[in-house]
Amino acid sequence: MKKYLKIYRESMRVSAASATTYRADFFLQSIITLLSNIIFPLVTLLIYGAGAGFEGWTIYEVLLIQSIFTMSTGISNMLFEGIVWSTMRHVQEGTLEIVLIKPVDCMFYLLSSTFNLGSISVVLGGGIVFGISFANVENTSFFMWIQFFVLFVIGLMVMLGMQLLMAATSFKWVANSRIPEMYGSILKFGNYPQSIFNKGVVAFTSFIIPVGMIAFFPATALLGRLEWWMLIAIIPCILFLVVGIGVYRYMVRLYEGVGG
Amino acid sequence: MIKVRHRLKVAKAVALVTYKEWSAYRTHSMVSIIVGPLYFIIQYFIWTAVYGDNGAALNGMELEQMLRYFGATALIGYLTMDFADWNLQMLVRTGKFLTFQLRPIHHRFFAFSQKLGHRVLGFLVEFLPCILIFQFVFKIDMVPQYIGWTLLSIFFAFLMNFYINYCIGLSAFWLVQSNGIRSVFQALSSVLSGALIPLVFFPEFLQKLLFFLPFQYTTYVPSMVFSGSYTLAGISMDIDKIVMIQGVAVLLTMALSEFMYRRAIHRFNAVGG
Repeated sequence: MKKYLKIYRESMRVSAASATTYRADFFLQSIITLLSNIIFPLVTLLIYGAGAGFEGWTIYEVLLIQSIFTMSTGISNMLFEGIVWSTMRHVQEGTLEIVLIKPVDCMFYLLSSTFNLGSISVVLGGGIVFGISFANVENTSFFMWIQFFVLFVIGLMVMLGMQLLMAATSFKWVANSRIPEMYGSILKFGNYPQSIFNKGVVAFTSFIIPVGMIAFFPATALLGRLEWWMLIAIIPCILFLVVGIGVYRYMVRLYEGVGG
Repeated sequence: MIKVRHRLKVAKAVALVTYKEWSAYRTHSMVSIIVGPLYFIIQYFIWTAVYGDNGAALNGMELEQMLRYFGATALIGYLTMDFADWNLQMLVRTGKFLTFQLRPIHHRFFAFSQKLGHRVLGFLVEFLPCILIFQFVFKIDMVPQYIGWTLLSIFFAFLMNFYINYCIGLSAFWLVQSNGIRSVFQALSSVLSGALIPLVFFPEFLQKLLFFLPFQYTTYVPSMVFSGSYTLAGISMDIDKIVMIQGVAVLLTMALSEFMYRRAIHRFNAVGG
């Protein structure tokens, strides 16, 4: 355990050193990423600006969901996303052996060595909108905050599971850079109040691929609207991560090193 | 005449090679068969919820028109998609652009021919399956109101996308690494082209400004022509007029691309960076 913590700390240090070495590029990319993410609530703003909206949801409540989604995406990009591109590249070039011969778990090594400090701007962008939205919703108790944090962390587990499934897919679907786009289209369901979808979709996004846990359920906790069945969704979220880890490890075992 | 025939022969050869090259990675394009309908389902639920039960028009658009609009933007995107900017900046950054200076062919013509081949593949593996899904699974009427004007408008959007991206790619002659400018442009384009939401939802001053920017001519104009009516900034225009304006915008962008190319080529040193 101590060894793994040390490796992760070292990876973070290397990422920070790289960011400071190419600091102009780092700041430019961060600003661009921040600006790109500031526009994420645009559709919601324009819809509500036109006098319409989602029934039962104020503009700030919808923005709260979307800002939580953005923060979760930012954290996922920072901590987990690198494994997708790294695995994809290693499988395409047939160089995963270089990682496999290291005396450390392959999945952990790829997750830690691809720590990306640059995505912190996404978290900040989401955090700013979160702050503005939260200031305009009703009072929240300490217990609601606890519920929010627990569900937010479980949402991050769904994100990790998703990234691992993407990385696992790249073992079979070699060199397809659109794999993240495919999974990303499913994630988009988690960016809106689930009440706009029909029951079939809600069941799918709560219990099969539980993207509702990424932002919607944590937001409902913060708004005091959490229902009992939403807590049941914690189980499929944990299972989703277990499946992600299992499938990734299984694909590593099948790896043949031929490239593609 | 011989020159034209020769150019057509070259374009056909380059397009065919590009088509064959990308056919090897056709599943890459076929991801759109999953992604396109999934995004459309999300748009369906968003707008059905926004319009609610009374279904009153929003900014002059009714629910059915809105769904047709999003179907059209997705399909037009498959026909006009372009990455000339990435290709050109890569050639400049690595110094490989030199090889095009030695060939008896203008690089822009080569890049355009590549795009033709690539989009023929897009037509077969992205456009055709998705139009069938929209039409027969989602039951959205995907037959354009005016077929002739729609085809012309899509052709102009095809050219517009190419020439804008080529201009962005040309910036690499000055910047060497033009990823930053590409990212900024892509972010602006995703919002101001009308791909996220119809431009009539924007504040009026921005709608007026959009007449003088290239973005709406790549997505919003062809999608509205597809729908059969065009309105922006409170100005309703006949379809033939807006397509002509789109044509003029394309000519101006072509001229800008030529101007930039002539300036850029003087800066080329084949060293890369």
